[in-house]
Amino acid sequence: MTTGNASSWSRRISAFSSSPSQFLSSTTADSFLTELLDELRDDRTSENTKVLLLTPFLEYPTLLCPSPAVGEETAVELLAIFSQLPHKSLQLKCQLMVAITSILVCTSCVSSEVEVAVSFLDLLYHTIQDTNDHKNGPQFYYLRSTACDCLREIETCHPGLLSQRLEALYLLKQQETTPLHQTYTLLYILGLKNTIRLLSLQKGGADGELKKALAGNEGFAWKAIETPLFLFLPSATGQISVVQTSTDNKELKSIVSLLLEESYLLTPLSQAALLRELIEVVAMVQALSPAIFKSQLVRLIGTVEITLLHATLLMKSTFTDSLFTTEDENFFIKRLVSMAQHPLLSIQQKLFYMDCILHFPENRPISSNGEESLPVLVTPCLAASLLPTVFNDSRTMLCRLSLLSLVYLEADENDDKGVGYLFGHVLALHKIVDNHGTREMVVTYFKSVFTFLTYFYHNDKFTNDLTKSITQLYSRHCYLAPNIINLIDRIQECLEDSKWPIELLQALQSLIVELPTAQLSIQNLGWHLKVLGRVSQESQVSQGKTLWFLLNVLINSTLCKTGGWKMGSAVLLVCRNLLQHPSLDRVFNELADVLQHIMQHYDDVDIQDRARFYYTLLTNLSREKLSGVLAKGPDVNRAKVQSLSSLVAESEGLSSCLTIHETTDTVLKLTKIINTKFHRVLQQYDTGNHNDEDVLAFYWKQFSSPGFSYKVILEYHLTHTGDVDIVFNKLFSICLHFDLTDSNYEQVSNISVPCLFKNRKPPVVQVMLQPQQPFPTTLRARALFTTEDGLSWHTQLEDVPVSFSDIFLPLPVPVDWSQEKKEQLFDLLWMSMSNEEPDQSATSLFCFEIGDQQLPGIIESKFSPYLISQQSDKELYKVVFFLPPQFHVLLTITNAEDAVQVRIATDNWELLPFINTYLKSVTHEIPTS
Amino acid sequence: MSVRALWIVSHERGDRGTVCFSRRFPTVECRARALSGPQYVPVPDDHVVLQPLLTELGLTDPERPFVLSRDDCARPQRSPALELHFEGRDGGVLWPVLAVVQGGLILACLVLVETPLEPRPPLPSLASVSQGLSLLAGLQSFLGGAGGKQEGEVLASKLALLPSILLQICPFGSPIDTPQVGAMAVPGPASSQKQPAWKPALHRGRALVSVALSETVRSMQYGRLSRQDVWDVFGTVTCKCEVEGVLPSVMVTLTLPPNGSPLQDILVHPCVTSLDSSILTASSVDDGDGSSFSGPYKFPFSPPLEPFRLCSYTSQACRPVPVPPILGSYQLKEEENQLRLTVALKLHESVRNSFEYCEAHLPLVNRGQMNNVDVKVSSGQLEVCREKSLLVWLLGQKFPKSREVTLGGTVSFSELSSGPSDPLCTGLTAYIKLYFRIPDMTLSGSCVDQHSVQVYSSAKPRITTSRELMSSEYYIWNSNGEAPVSSGLMAL
Repeated sequence: MTTGNASSWSRRISAFSSSPSQFLSSTTADSFLTELLDELRDDRTSENTKVLLLTPFLEYPTLLCPSPAVGEETAVELLAIFSQLPHKSLQLKCQLMVAITSILVCTSCVSSEVEVAVSFLDLLYHTIQDTNDHKNGPQFYYLRSTACDCLREIETCHPGLLSQRLEALYLLKQQETTPLHQTYTLLYILGLKNTIRLLSLQKGGADGELKKALAGNEGFAWKAIETPLFLFLPSATGQISVVQTSTDNKELKSIVSLLLEESYLLTPLSQAALLRELIEVVAMVQALSPAIFKSQLVRLIGTVEITLLHATLLMKSTFTDSLFTTEDENFFIKRLVSMAQHPLLSIQQKLFYMDCILHFPENRPISSNGEESLPVLVTPCLAASLLPTVFNDSRTMLCRLSLLSLVYLEADENDDKGVGYLFGHVLALHKIVDNHGTREMVVTYFKSVFTFLTYFYHNDKFTNDLTKSITQLYSRHCYLAPNIINLIDRIQECLEDSKWPIELLQALQSLIVELPTAQLSIQNLGWHLKVLGRVSQESQVSQGKTLWFLLNVLINSTLCKTGGWKMGSAVLLVCRNLLQHPSLDRVFNELADVLQHIMQHYDDVDIQDRARFYYTLLTNLSREKLSGVLAKGPDVNRAKVQSLSSLVAESEGLSSCLTIHETTDTVLKLTKIINTKFHRVLQQYDTGNHNDEDVLAFYWKQFSSPGFSYKVILEYHLTHTGDVDIVFNKLFSICLHFDLTDSNYEQVSNISVPCLFKNRKPPVVQVMLQPQQPFPTTLRARALFTTEDGLSWHTQLEDVPVSFSDIFLPLPVPVDWSQEKKEQLFDLLWMSMSNEEPDQSATSLFCFEIGDQQLPGIIESKFSPYLISQQSDKELYKVVFFLPPQFHVLLTITNAEDAVQVRIATDNWELLPFINTYLKSVTHEIPTS
Repeated sequence: MSVRALWIVSHERGDRGTVCFSRRFPTVECRARALSGPQYVPVPDDHVVLQPLLTELGLTDPERPFVLSRDDCARPQRSPALELHFEGRDGGVLWPVLAVVQGGLILACLVLVETPLEPRPPLPSLASVSQGLSLLAGLQSFLGGAGGKQEGEVLASKLALLPSILLQICPFGSPIDTPQVGAMAVPGPASSQKQPAWKPALHRGRALVSVALSETVRSMQYGRLSRQDVWDVFGTVTCKCEVEGVLPSVMVTLTLPPNGSPLQDILVHPCVTSLDSSILTASSVDDGDGSSFSGPYKFPFSPPLEPFRLCSYTSQACRPVPVPPILGSYQLKEEENQLRLTVALKLHESVRNSFEYCEAHLPLVNRGQMNNVDVKVSSGQLEVCREKSLLVWLLGQKFPKSREVTLGGTVSFSELSSGPSDPLCTGLTAYIKLYFRIPDMTLSGSCVDQHSVQVYSSAKPRITTSRELMSSEYYIWNSNGEAPVSSGLMAL
């Protein structure tokens, strides 16, 4: 069909990789897979292109092969391609091996039942036999390497598969002297570890079993891989099951010693992997002593490699004092501290080492709950080198600050020199922020303050100084209000008994109310009102000063004239909070004055109205009623909140009425109405008589007439998804919005549904689609609605699939056209398409068996709306699907001797794969005898 | 012990970033799905990952001063592992994502967690983390070295190589090596001895061993009685060995002068075959006793083909010599409409008076454009960078015989035009930063004698050694102003 060249393939593959779901919306996985395989089989395709074509298999095998059956078929195809390749196509061969492995593993095809899996594994095993490239020569070097990798990956995902081949693998590893001995070693140790793990899961003595396994040289252990993968993981408690061995196992001991001895020859990453497996082996086999690692310790701790040090840390936590003496432990932790600040290591490494210090596996831990805790050995003196400095990057600075805070918190309380330094550091950051530091520095400063306070909030000296410095900072940079409010909120959440947030709010309030009115710019006033709004939420802060300030500003500044709705709302928010304030009685008159002034002088009608309403509430309702009306929350009747939704201004706590909430689960779904037969619009044009010649011309002409457009209408029931929260039983003003997942359709307009009640008949929703390209698609649907309590909600619906057959329409001809005329049109169309006119046209053939079924019955049930003519005597049927905007699929169906033949003609060859899939699905439903 | 996905994102300040390379490992993903059970979160498409990644790194919405999702003060921002939050229908949290930001590039990978996800396991308990960090660091140096900004074409050509390199070192998400340039060479015929995996080929030709010792000195000088000046030294030994043989044996010995203070925090390259534990005992983080080992430091190793860092160390050379190599004093005062500067620098007598270069940079920021500069120096030349508000004092190759140089004079500023600003240096808080390099000397006194390098090989190699001292973060603060309390180096 397509003879895509290399660059178009490169474009398509990169489009697929960047978003496979979007890519597959304009084609089917099935047809894309077929195309890929065709192109791979094609000798004319260059090797580079073929390598590229395999990337989708490497990254998304399950998208291309959604079922084990497809996986198996694809693996067979790829293996066939592999076997036909010349020796020199090395990279492609490697890539094919990886692709086949990925497909087999991901589609659960690794089993003795699957023929291709068995033969592929044999191929891999055969490939790795040629140690040192003696037989086939060095060009097979990378192929062997890849084959080892493939076997290792299969063994990782199916532990135990190699458990009967340990001796053979051991010999291969020993014989290999090229750098590939590394891959062989990794393959062997993984097989060994998994074998021992399998034995440890069995009951009873295992001496003999272990010996037998080490000498094993049989086939693949297909039986073993029935064990589920998760059994192969350390349990949550970290308990390792042990192989019960009674005697000294000399073979195993010498194997482990040799592996350790030769580990030096491996790259650091592989060395670390080997060590981790060995640690597990030694931990599982009682006869092996952890002391076997002793000779490696100095080398490992001395290296700069993070993976090796990390593996050593695992050794420490697995074997604790059976491998590490107290001295060793002390040495190790010192080493970690010095690495955590080493000038030559990367930031990420140092952060990781700091994490390692906080989770250091001590020989004698005080608590072992797995949470962060400081090892006893980390003293203030030891940690001094980790003090934060202003030259650190943000992450390092924060990490050091919290580590050192922990150090000083546990140290002698009389000595606050260290804490003093940390506080000095926070002040140094303050100074930088004060001098217009970067945004990152601002955020780091507030994070530092938060961290510092969580450790030292009980020290009045520091908290008082912080109050002073933050107030001062605010006075100079009031745009920091959101950061300061965020800090206050978080401290209140995190330290419930701390008085500091209140003190800071009081200080900020005093600062703001004492500002001379003349100096207030409208912009700054916005920030001040935000802070005062936050202050007014606190019952412990007296609010007289705030009201005095508000009245003063309203009277003496241009706020009433120039403030606008937004500033007015900010003022009203403060007033609203005060209506609920416990000390309302004391500020009653002042609040009334403020509200009265706003309703008389503010230059915005909505603000005036709301002020008037608050004023009415204030002056007419008792305190209890007032708080009942204004309070909100789970204990309040939902209906009441609705009545207040228009009264509430922007605020964290009160905004729920105005904001749109997100549902946690899906609430709604669209269910397709199957039995609507004519779910489409047809625009009819009255016509006169046409002679034969211009039937086709007339037909084509209508497409260019103005206002002509065909739309597909799909009908759905809008229903709840199963049992939803009781809140959602009655929904109102539902607005459905559809997002396209590809560019093949015009935007779908929103649909409004007045209401949806749980136990009533579901409303019918008509989705109108206007295709630009008639391909199957998926619509993303979301909905906005209101619940009975007046809250607005946003929810995602399940995706709405639009299948290929959904967009079939009957031929758009006037209703009064006779049967003959339609048939005539059909024939003319067929003819033009067979002549490849236009050049997008194509013809094809599809056959199927019908068994005992009668063809007329099938035609009636599947194609009746699209049937143009039927000649029952000859069992010849003509069917046409019209696909907007103006494509056609013409079928002539005849009953030949042993199968039904469907001849296909279309004016858009790109539709062929969909037609094929559609016909397959239609004919699949027919039971064959 | 595997990586689930890998991304390389290019990101310029202010733009939305583009994923220029990504790779997923489906077999690892299969394991992730089996292991995490109901907590499994699949790896979404690249464009979905991008935004949360940038938010987590603080790179989104540069023009908005406060965005809760990015700037919440209670959000921990101190672990090397990020947590990506997805909104909308798919929801979910991806953890742990490791990321390295380098110039305009972000390298990130999601690693496999092989223990139950709830409660969240500590990072050090996950094997994949160090593996992921190693892989990222390897990619970083492959794509163009730390810190360096990448040219578009060079970067594109390197990115184009990545798929085939990953096929070699990490076909299934479990890397066995870090990316190397030119890794696709097929090694020669097998020998009787096992060849190290980190040495894919053998050297043929003239034998050569070169050992370079480079020390870096850092200093903070305050010029006040109340605040002690601090300085420290760290060094690295870099080797390039072109020696024949599968596993040739080389030994480099580092020696200290008789009263030298021990080298500390020694880190060695993994090719070092054995280490005496006494070499590692000295550490900068504890006081230690005076009796500790002070050499000779022997490093037996079998060299890889490429140049490599044999070892690194820190030194408290400050103990026997309590004065930094260049002691400075800096006095800056405000006088009417100008600044008066007085600077004196003194080279310590033990330091070799022969520089490759020596420069003192005096930034005078937050004051508007430099106007009139009336400054005299006793030695060297003065350059004025008006647009940077920077005085550069070029001291040349030698200090005068007295080993003392001075600078003095006044600088005035035009308040009409604004100059460069720096939030760190306001008021009288100001510093001089020194840049110098002295060949053929080290502060710790450590040295590698050409004759002490032993090579056990048939051909006698040519051996070269070199030494140098460099400065880095060498600050002299104005003694009339306040230096930040936490300005660096330990000082408790």
